[in-house]
Amino acid sequence: MESTLRRPPVKSTTAARGNSIKFIAGGIVLLGVIAFVMFNTIQANTVYYYTLSEVQTQQASLVGKTIRVNGPLDKTSIRNDQKNLVLEFNLVQDGIVLPVVYQGVAPDTMSSGESVVAEGKLDSDGVFRAQSILVKCPSKYQESPVQY
Amino acid sequence: MANPQIAEVGNLALVLGLAASVYVVFAAVFSQIKRRNEFFLSARNGVWLIAGLATLAVVILEWALITHQFRFEYVASHVSRDQPLFYTITALWGGQQGSLLFWVWLLSLFGAIVLLQHPGESDPLIPWVIAFLAFTSAFFFSLLVFVSSPFTLLAQAPADGIGLNPLLQDPGMIIHPVTQYLGYVGFAVPFAFAFAALVTGKLGYDWIRTTRRWALFAWLFLSLGLLFGMRWAYVELGWGGYWGWDPVENAALIPWLTGTAYLHSVMIQEKRGMLKVWNLVLILLTFLLTILGTFITRSGVIQSVHAFGVSSMGPFFLAYIAAVLVVTVYFIYVRLDKLKEENRLDSMLSREATFLLNNLILLGAAVATLWGTVFPLISEVIVGKQITVAAPFFNQVNGPIFLALVLLMGVCTLIGWRRASPRHLVRNFMSPAAVAVVTMVVLMLIGVRDPYGLIALVAAAFVLTTILLEFYRGTRARMRMYKENAAIAQAQLVNKNRRRYGGYIVHLGVILAVIGIVGSTFFQTSAQQNLAPGQTVELGPYLVQFDRLTVTREPNAQVIGADLVVFENGRQIDTMRPLKAYYPAADQMTTEVAVRTTMRDDLYVILAGWNDDGSATLKVIINPLVLWLWVGFGVFILGTIITMLPDPREAKALERVRAEKAWVGA
Repeated sequence: MESTLRRPPVKSTTAARGNSIKFIAGGIVLLGVIAFVMFNTIQANTVYYYTLSEVQTQQASLVGKTIRVNGPLDKTSIRNDQKNLVLEFNLVQDGIVLPVVYQGVAPDTMSSGESVVAEGKLDSDGVFRAQSILVKCPSKYQESPVQY
Repeated sequence: MANPQIAEVGNLALVLGLAASVYVVFAAVFSQIKRRNEFFLSARNGVWLIAGLATLAVVILEWALITHQFRFEYVASHVSRDQPLFYTITALWGGQQGSLLFWVWLLSLFGAIVLLQHPGESDPLIPWVIAFLAFTSAFFFSLLVFVSSPFTLLAQAPADGIGLNPLLQDPGMIIHPVTQYLGYVGFAVPFAFAFAALVTGKLGYDWIRTTRRWALFAWLFLSLGLLFGMRWAYVELGWGGYWGWDPVENAALIPWLTGTAYLHSVMIQEKRGMLKVWNLVLILLTFLLTILGTFITRSGVIQSVHAFGVSSMGPFFLAYIAAVLVVTVYFIYVRLDKLKEENRLDSMLSREATFLLNNLILLGAAVATLWGTVFPLISEVIVGKQITVAAPFFNQVNGPIFLALVLLMGVCTLIGWRRASPRHLVRNFMSPAAVAVVTMVVLMLIGVRDPYGLIALVAAAFVLTTILLEFYRGTRARMRMYKENAAIAQAQLVNKNRRRYGGYIVHLGVILAVIGIVGSTFFQTSAQQNLAPGQTVELGPYLVQFDRLTVTREPNAQVIGADLVVFENGRQIDTMRPLKAYYPAADQMTTEVAVRTTMRDDLYVILAGWNDDGSATLKVIINPLVLWLWVGFGVFILGTIITMLPDPREAKALERVRAEKAWVGA
């Protein structure tokens, strides 16, 4: 970070031009590698969003895949076993009920939550085993940063 | 005055602010096209008017917040009567409308500061600078006027407000948005100068020199924003970490990455007259990414843990970003002949080459992070379905990128400008490499096995040595040359070349932070257990004993705590008390973790739940080395401030440039 003055321009030599080309080529290779890694890893890490009705109609094909489900929370269904840290609740929409089981600490906002985004896998018995849950609170809160 | 009239005044201030901004844009541009200086003077006055109107709006909103004017919708949703005054004042930036007002207020003040820094009419860039800043404030004013006003009234005042979200009632969360916004808004100034340089065709190093401190200032505050956000997540959210690759976190990181690239690449333009187009592109990207960041955090457009209310601001932001992008790219194209490189790269083995590589890597990280962040939006447009990208993506892509960046930081210090001799390089290389090998052996002996963690720590040791060697050599040279003692020589070394050694101190901070990040990422351990009073849970060297649950009352919350005693190697070393607080007004719980910090590790205890039988469920986490993350940030900030201090060399260089110009002009 020295603040010396700019040195006078040097005549560009063939070697210097060769360096520029080398550098551009190297840069392209580097960005190519980053892009390759990016697209490869994105494949393995994309998670699709499903609504409750989509989960119901496509149940068979979804079993075992990591997906995200978004639905309204039935507050009366919340059972929080604090000793074993098992949280169970139902997402309910248009008569469709999806039971969700989450192993872990219940989010602080669970009891006042309006809807839940759960990420996890659907079991063949129709229970959604969540690996992470995100509680959406009524719109009166503009911010509800809670994730576990 | 009754509430409706005051709200009218507030809204009027916003409308006039919009009108004044539009006027300044036209007056400033007109003054240049028609060479009518009186319009420029009028535009300058307009800048002061904008600042005054924005300030008036802020004062009115603050007054409403502090005096509990619950007819104001914004007040009712962000303030409650039992809320401490501090959080009532800071509720100004606790919600969407208030924080947009805060944005435009900062921007208007920065505009006024630019005028103070450039009195008189000599600088040909200034009219275009204020035109661009006014264009941007016109955009934000129109959001406030047409989309969501902070002065909207309810039909009737409720008895009490909802209050600020309890999670945000934390000093860290109050400072975080301010620093973040100072950083975001700060980059508008260097970009405005870049834009002015493009329009006027004065594309030398002047616009960069003029805004060097603005760019550093903005970058410093973006860094502080990251620090306070991470710190808040760590102590307040209670999941044991500080970074989750959430869209809002990414929105803060991405402009920081491109801004870092910019700060490095402008040095090459300064020294060698190269990379002129590249620097313009980087400052353009950085500025637009701060706007995009504001949009992402303020619009709820991407599913985020921050879950801001969804709003209809999207098209406005897209239109603004598109307009700036198109106009700037057009001017870059028009000015290409004035942006010719004065030099070419002499050697691949030169500091310039490492800077270029650093730029590519930083940009790669920014693109990868941006891609993962906006992927849900893109997929929604293309396949009609929101597809989110899970956190492992960001770790897998950015992990190797950041490792390369760290290594480069070390290599860069070893390589001189222009052309380095391989023999010299090998000699410089030996001792850091030796330290790296020793570090690896020691780490393996004490049982570190995780390959990624090992590689990262060894790399950190290598770079740390190169930086310390740089200080050692410089200090020794001064001791010999000026017969100074070690402490004075060390201080003078930094003092006499603030930019260079300030930069090394920044790098030192980064390495310390890397050590903290690696420790807490790869070597975290945790246990989760339900304990009756008297029972214990063991983790690593620690034994945590649960004594009892205690309940206390605070003005606006009820607090449940678990009294814990901590033992290490059979000896009692401390007591801890993790809490859960219940806020009746918001009907919400918050978790207050207990953290015991040492240089070696953090013992982090969360009260996960409790039962009627008096038992408590605890989650205990050991985060190795995480203290060094915060220490590293501290060093980093110190280094940045040192680079911003007035530099005697810089003043001299500037004088010489002026003299040369006068000579050429004569």
